[in-house]
This record gives sequence, structure tokens and C-alpha cells, in this order.
Amino acid sequence: MAHNLVFFYGFAALAVVSTLLVIAQPNPIYSVLLLILSFVALAGLYVMLDAPFVAVTQIIVYAGAIMVLFLFVVMLLNVSHEHAVADNQAASDGGGPTVRWFGAILAGVMAVELVWALNRSRSVGAALAGAERETAWSVEEIGRILFTRYGFAFEATSVLILVAMVGSIALAGRHLSGKKAWRR
Amino acid sequence: MSVSPTLIAQLAILGFVFFMLLNSAAIMVYVERKVAAKIQQRMGPTLVGPYGMLQPLADIIKLMMKEDLRPKAADAILFTLAPIIAATTAFTAFAVVPFGAATTFWGLLPEPISLQIADINVAVLFVFAITSMGVYGIVLAGWSSNSKYSLLGALRSSAQMISYELSYGLALASVLLLAGSLSLRDIVNAQSGAWLGVIPRWFIFLQPVSFFIFMTAGIAETNRAPFDFPEAEQELVAGYHTEYSSMSFAMFFMAEYINMVTVSAVATDLFLGGWHGPFLPESFGWIWFLLKVSAILFFYVWMRWTLPRYRYDQLMQFGWKALLPLSVVNLLVTAAGVLYFGA
Repeated sequence: MAHNLVFFYGFAALAVVSTLLVIAQPNPIYSVLLLILSFVALAGLYVMLDAPFVAVTQIIVYAGAIMVLFLFVVMLLNVSHEHAVADNQAASDGGGPTVRWFGAILAGVMAVELVWALNRSRSVGAALAGAERETAWSVEEIGRILFTRYGFAFEATSVLILVAMVGSIALAGRHLSGKKAWRR
Repeated sequence: MSVSPTLIAQLAILGFVFFMLLNSAAIMVYVERKVAAKIQQRMGPTLVGPYGMLQPLADIIKLMMKEDLRPKAADAILFTLAPIIAATTAFTAFAVVPFGAATTFWGLLPEPISLQIADINVAVLFVFAITSMGVYGIVLAGWSSNSKYSLLGALRSSAQMISYELSYGLALASVLLLAGSLSLRDIVNAQSGAWLGVIPRWFIFLQPVSFFIFMTAGIAETNRAPFDFPEAEQELVAGYHTEYSSMSFAMFFMAEYINMVTVSAVATDLFLGGWHGPFLPESFGWIWFLLKVSAILFFYVWMRWTLPRYRYDQLMQFGWKALLPLSVVNLLVTAAGVLYFGA
């Protein structure tokens, strides 16, 4: 049991430290990479919960997603330090303090939500014990639950992502609409 | 404290796989040079050892003796980290690939153990996840070198990975539908036996389209010709590893060959029935596995020296407009077939 604890604290510390560093250090490229490190640490925690499927899915989904984020940073924000951009932005908005207050309120709401979710998940974890927990993590069972009990949430999320995709294409293609933008 | 023989055997397998993967890179370099020479009516390496067979060893020694240079403008941490990521992911992906039936090593062990490092029940997805992590080595190398050729190579590589991973995943999914499992060992075991006593029950006969998509996407993922844009010499000097020298360069080189071996081994397990084959008993199945992997690797080399490189926009068009729709249709047909005929 002892080595399990060592692994748990190792992965947990790695996740917490790398997540803090994502926002604490100034270079956006390093932030992106630390983000993936924190996801890998989370995947390690999932493996320790006997949920290899969730762990692997997490890596597959985020490896691709963060790669896109990385390219975004390289292609669009080619800056090595974030300070300059952030300060300019606040000055041009003309509302530094307002933005900060808004951010603080959002952070507070997030913290309350997190506490609520943690309290709730404890009761769920207690409900699933022993053998039932084993089957609950199998790929088949996750698929079944996803398409039955959480079917609506699943479909709603996919529609949401589709809306975001259409929106981003519309925004990106706005300047080109008069020309032969859709030639290919 | 007593150590169980099973543990020793498992560690032996681990060491064996590590050693063979290292070796495979060296062997592949030799094969590549010899086959290229034959195709181009040259001799290839002949001087070092019999038939030039010690040439890879000479190459390794040369690489070790070289100076490890780093450009002044490079990002020191990421520049060092990139080849490490590339090599680590290349080795890790092979950890879940089974290469033979369960064995007791001629009665040495009390119970049979499987010839693979880790038998996890989501092996297929694990390989997929680790391969998609592998591209970080390439992209970081390109970005941290702070050189335009490297950066262009890295950007091409990531575009290629994102485009071809979709088809790769969908090709995998149709095999998973047939096998009804995510474990590579179960998938291989689902392919044992033969139809009508003659045709082996391999998934390549049920899923030829899927095999074609898998191999095409696999070639694109491993950045091999005719899809070797990240390192297209004529345009990008050497692509993402332009600024690397000595053993850091060797690590990228090795990672590329090991990735080829992994893709071939996974293709063998998924489509060619793994270690199942006629004439040989189950315990010598690994010979079949080796033969099949070698055949695919030879095909890889043959392709490289036969086909010219595509143009970059052709690659993207082919990926999104031909390969992806084909794999979606293939998946739908497979799903309908499985539903109709039963798994």
C-alpha cells in the first residue's frame, strides 16, 4: 500500500506544481507545455484509480488539443514574455480594475463550484464500492452510461462544440468572404 | 527475500525488448542503405565488416565522437528536452505490443507469461496516445532551435499529425469493432485459425481498406517518404533536426526507426494475425511475428526509394478529402456488417 501512496503524492504534487506554474511563469510556450505535464500527471492519478481508459483518453484528447494551442502561441503570439501583451491590452481596454474585479468574481464562483462538486463526488465515490467500482470503470460500461443516462448532455456538448467550430470559421473567414476564400 | 522466477522473466523480457529496439534502429539503417543501393544499382556499404554489416556500428561511434552543438539563440531547456521526448515516446509505445504467445520458456516458469512488457486492456488506445505525444519531440525541436528551417519542419509535422491521426484512429476503430476488444492480445487471438482450412483468419482479409488507411496514415505519422515533409532535404535542409548534432541527432534518427518498427508491429498484431500462422507450433509463433514485421519494414524502405515526395498541399488534400471520408465510410460499413452478421 505504501508505494501506492508514494505514487499518489508524487503525481498529485506534479499536477499541482505544474498547474500553478502554467499561470505563474511568464513564457507562454512553457505554459502550454506545463499544461500537458499536468494532464499527464492527472492521467497517472486515473491509472491509480484503476481507470486506464479515462487516463489514455485524457492523453489522446489533450495531446492533440494542446498541440493546436501550441501552434496558436507560436503562430499568432510570437512573444517570449507575456507582460508586454497583458499590459498593453489592459491599457487599451481602458478598464484595468474592472477587468480585474470581474476576474476575481469569476474566480470566487469557480472556487464555490469546486467545493460543491467535491462534496458531491465524495458521496458518489462512497456509493460505488468494491466490485461495482471495477465494472463501472470498464470501457463498455462507460460507453453504455455515456449514451444512455448522459445521452442528452453528451449530444448537447457535441452541438456546443459544433457551434464553436462554425463560429470560429465564420470569424476567421470574415475578411476573405469577398474574395475566392472558398476556392478549394 | 526470494525473487520469483516470473519477475525475473518479466525483467528479462523488458531488457530484451529494449535491446532489440535499439538494435532494430541499427539494423534498419543497414537495410535501408543496402536496399537503396540495390534499387539504384549501387553497392552500398561494403568496407566495414563482411558485406559492410558493421557499418551501423561505425556510424554510432562516429556520432558519439562528434561535438554536441547548440545554437546560441536556442532555448536551452527545450532544445535538450526535445530529443529525449522523441526517444522516450518511441520506446514507450512498444511496451504494450505483444510479440508472441504465452510461454513457460520450456518449463522454466511455474505458470506461462505473455511475451510482452505490459498487457493492459486499452493497449490500442495507449499506442495511439503515446504516438500522438511523440510529435511533441519534433515540434519542440523545431521551435527551440530558433531556426526557420526547423520551425517550418515542425509546423509541417504537426499539421501532418493532426490531419492523419483522424484517419489512423478511424481505421483502428473498424478493427476494434470486429475484435470487440481494446487489448492487442485479445485482438491477435481473435485472428487464430483459418477459413475453409486454408485462408488464415486475419483481419486484413476482412478489412483491406482499413489496412491500406492504417499503413498510409502510419507512413505519414512516422514522417517517411513519400510523406517526409518535416525533413524534406531539398526545401528545409534537414527539417526539424537541422540544428542538432552528435547523439541528440542520433536520438531523433533512432526514434524515427523505432516508430517505424512500432507501427509495423501494431499493424502485424491488428491485421496480419500477430504470431499466428501455418506450419509452426504456437511456441515458435514469434518467428512468424518477426517475419511479418520484417516484410512490412521492407515495404517501407521499398516505398521510400520508389516513390517521389508528394507536394505539401497534395498531402493535405489527400488526407482530408480522400483518406478521411474513405475511413468514415469504411467504419460505417464495418459497423453495419458487425450489426448484421453479429460480431
